[in-house]
Amino acid sequence: MTELSPATLLEGSFIALADAVGSGRVTARAVAEESLVRVEKAQKAFGAFLSTDPAATLREAEAVDRRVAAGERLPLAGVPLAVKDNINVAGRPSTAGSKILAGFVSPDHATCVARLVDAGAVVVGKTNCDAFGMGSSNENSAYGPVRNPWNPARVPGGSSGGSAAAVAARAVPLSIGTDTGGSVRQPAALCGLVGWKPTYGRVSRYGLIAFASSFDQAGALTRSVDEGACAFSVMAGADPKDATALTTPVPDVGAGLGARLFGKRIGLLAEASSAEGGLHADVKASFEKAAGTLRAAGAVVTTVSVPRVPFAVPVYYLTATAEASSNLARFDGVRYGARKGEASLAALYRETRSAGFGPEVKRRILLGTFALSSGYHDAYYGRAQKVRALLARDFAAAFREVDAILCPTSPEPAFALGAKTDDPLAMYLADVFTVPPSLAGLPAVSVPSGFSRDGLPIGMQFIGPGDAEPLLFALARVLEDASGVLARRAPGAVS
Amino acid sequence: MKIDPALVSKVAALASLELTDAERSAMAEQLTRIVDHFEALREIPDELLEGEEIPRAMPLRADAVDACLPIAVVEANAPEFAHGHFVVPRVVTRD
Repeated sequence: MTELSPATLLEGSFIALADAVGSGRVTARAVAEESLVRVEKAQKAFGAFLSTDPAATLREAEAVDRRVAAGERLPLAGVPLAVKDNINVAGRPSTAGSKILAGFVSPDHATCVARLVDAGAVVVGKTNCDAFGMGSSNENSAYGPVRNPWNPARVPGGSSGGSAAAVAARAVPLSIGTDTGGSVRQPAALCGLVGWKPTYGRVSRYGLIAFASSFDQAGALTRSVDEGACAFSVMAGADPKDATALTTPVPDVGAGLGARLFGKRIGLLAEASSAEGGLHADVKASFEKAAGTLRAAGAVVTTVSVPRVPFAVPVYYLTATAEASSNLARFDGVRYGARKGEASLAALYRETRSAGFGPEVKRRILLGTFALSSGYHDAYYGRAQKVRALLARDFAAAFREVDAILCPTSPEPAFALGAKTDDPLAMYLADVFTVPPSLAGLPAVSVPSGFSRDGLPIGMQFIGPGDAEPLLFALARVLEDASGVLARRAPGAVS
Repeated sequence: MKIDPALVSKVAALASLELTDAERSAMAEQLTRIVDHFEALREIPDELLEGEEIPRAMPLRADAVDACLPIAVVEANAPEFAHGHFVVPRVVTRD
């Protein structure tokens, strides 16, 4: 039996890596050691990580080796895993990228982490992110920005920017993040990765630090579609700890991969070309090329309208911030995290929150509190909720005409650090294509479709009706095969 | 809609946030711009929205006693903890 080098395995698919560990050709410990070296390099080069615990990682890798030796079959045996810092990993800090949670140590695993660890994955670090998942560029982290391994002068996207940079830099083959309005899909697109959000409820929210509960979902970032589908099949499933977790059977995403698309109806989102803020010429060209690729693969490609998409950004930022203003009320300096002010209980709340939250989190709490406040509720939050329901109906109507919808994931490739930090509204408009499926609770997969003229990755997003994940991964595989992205390595990738 | 610094102060008080004068002015300007942009929702005719509501209500779990975290784990994360309780500034005083 040939022994394999951990460095070689980390350059390929984690499915092959798990097979190598599972068949005893390499140990999980050796893979973890190599990944930890890369994690340190990725941290220095891109600011991708917020914390590591090498001793715990090696202990957990050795535990996987013992399980393999005992004959357990583990689909993720020894796969190094990076976890966004707003998802709990037992015994490790969770700051959510905010100073207000400094010192907090998670008492247990998030359910999605527990499922991945049960399947043999080994946590190698917690990744940097926009505070509480609030941002599209990872510039809202209290611990500094993350840089894009394809070009360190550009953002990696957000809010799961550290998770995206960690995989693009080849420090780990698998990372997880949270996606409230696109926080997995947009960084995946900007870093040349596959990123998905499930049908709302398909992956448990237990152990995710809540931002907006009717939107928040966990998803994964990988280099290939097959790995993304594998992560989905492990992470998805019912959970008594989350009342919103679906109890219906998890769709089998493995069966459809590589299936023929003959006769499948794909709708190009009509509203994409007139997106507010404009569509970058290279993204537009990639969108058109993707349509051609799907036609060539046998799909019936048409145009479909989802008329309320142009209102999705206002609806999202009114409803999600309203939920955030309620969810983030729990951070008050009493039970966990940082604390400041002792003059009175009210002063303790006020001073802790004022010192602990950063500017973007404060802005969103204020916007959400405003939208819910007496005199403004009906005109803003109430109206936004009604438009949200109308948008969901628009999607339902569209899915009577087509099986899936295609649109760019982001209107532009990765932008320069600092380009939008002074203009919150411009930053919000970066989410123009990712928030519509979030508002309707629909599954969506972002897949690399090519590169801009200056060598930055471009991603396309497939949106489907609830439980359409098998079709979405199959469609993504077609674009992946045509884009040739798997053959390209980010210039900043570590080794 | 104009969001002035006074309205920002009122909303900040509701959210238990304290802002400096500079933060208050900046927030007023930014929130005005953001909310002005969101006025686009008024373009949707009221009759289209009549009867619309979020279709799926949040499910509730059974109202049953469940396992909870051990006190030692809770204490380890607490800023201040004594005799099995979180310590906060005095709330009730004798006048």
